Amino acid sequence: MSNVISEANWKFHWRLTESAGIMIYLADYHGRRVLWEASLPYVTIDHQRETLDVKDDPGEVHGPWWVPLGTRTLQGPVRVQSFRGGVELSAAFAAGPYHYTQLWRFHDDGRLCPWLTIYGPGVHDQHTYHPHWRFDFDLDGARDDAFERFEDSRWQRVGQEGWFPYSGEADEHGNVWRQIDAGTGAAVHIRPHSWDDAEVFAIRYHDGEWAPYSPRNAAGSQTFPSAYVGDEPLDGDDVTLWYVAHVHFDQSFPYTAGPWVKVSGLGN
Amino acid sequence: MASSKKPVKAAKPAKSKPKVAASRPAKPARRAVAPDIAQADPTLFDPLTPGEIADALRTLTEDRRLSSMAKVGRYRVICTEPLVVKPPHWMAGHRLVRVVVYDYAADRAVEACVDLDAGVVAHLELTRGQPMLSRDEEALAVSIAMVDDRVRAKLTFGDVPQSTLHYWGRTTEDLAYARRSAAVVFGRPDGHASVVAIVDLLENTVTQVVPAEMW
Repeated sequence: MSNVISEANWKFHWRLTESAGIMIYLADYHGRRVLWEASLPYVTIDHQRETLDVKDDPGEVHGPWWVPLGTRTLQGPVRVQSFRGGVELSAAFAAGPYHYTQLWRFHDDGRLCPWLTIYGPGVHDQHTYHPHWRFDFDLDGARDDAFERFEDSRWQRVGQEGWFPYSGEADEHGNVWRQIDAGTGAAVHIRPHSWDDAEVFAIRYHDGEWAPYSPRNAAGSQTFPSAYVGDEPLDGDDVTLWYVAHVHFDQSFPYTAGPWVKVSGLGN
Repeated sequence: MASSKKPVKAAKPAKSKPKVAASRPAKPARRAVAPDIAQADPTLFDPLTPGEIADALRTLTEDRRLSSMAKVGRYRVICTEPLVVKPPHWMAGHRLVRVVVYDYAADRAVEACVDLDAGVVAHLELTRGQPMLSRDEEALAVSIAMVDDRVRAKLTFGDVPQSTLHYWGRTTEDLAYARRSAAVVFGRPDGHASVVAIVDLLENTVTQVVPAEMW
């Protein structure tokens, strides 16, 4: 199977990684570059104890754990399927009681869906999933980017790296964050799933700063991507975005986490 | 790279390797550095061949900065994957390999960028970070847990290792807070988990055995 797909106004490449699921790279929409690469570096899981009494609640006794989504956990082949108005990639992964289906859906109107369906029982009911997506959007070139969030009823420019949780405020289309190419005005808008409890980390791009092979930094240090956040300026530079969802397991599983991403300003 | 907010620096290889011109005549196409990201060469993202992986690991272990690690030989290769940097970086257009190794002798992670075109370790970082478990480490953790008496006492008929996960403790009271550890989850092949065993991979011992419902 070719790893280059040209369909639904998109052209993109993909490959299965060792630990970050299906990676998409060099993606163009209407012949113009949108994405350098994007992947799902890790899904961490932590556990809570089941108690209704606040006094007896020990909090989270144990730390988190994770298993790579990649060649070692893949179940069956990566599938490429056309659907009405687009094309999608999907792959199933399993690690004991944790099961996932990773999806990349490309719509002909410029929407892109990096999603993860989570199912499987876990070791018990009280656990929370934290899927981490990493996006390196390069709209019409790597530099000259800006990052904005919707706050106080308008889009506001963010000057430097940081952590930007969803506060409940969004524009009329539900978008909360966006990355803009200052030269052409092309943009990618990010709309979180309303139940994702989502947050975005905006970080200046550095060469070789591909996703780490673990969220685990040194003992006592912040995990990734928090550990990347410094005070470097974003405006006019190359920006990398991490979208992190927090999904508590409950009876309504399976649950599909991940944002809607919409490209604008690149169409005909 | 895990904490690479530093410029990528080229390093001298352990031995002189005149292989760029002599032994690799078939790579001129990759030498043409693209002027911008729109012209990036997609083949640079291709999976590594077995020969490229071997080349990268040989180059890494011959680097004199890692001579003690290579000599002691208590390390595990965690991962090797292609790495692509953007123009105008001087390594744009080069075939690069990202190698992650865990050095058990020094209890540290080694993260390197090997430039296969130049035959050098272009970037090297030694950290206390904890990369994911290698497949060998996963298998080792299972084998350690399977022969532990406390684990065996808690298993019921039909329980098998379901999965092995990279685990770290939340507080300093947990040994796994600062030590490389794995969680082996046992249970029925098609059912719920029954027991969780935490394995310390530095000492090759089981440090915790917890019924799954109590995890």
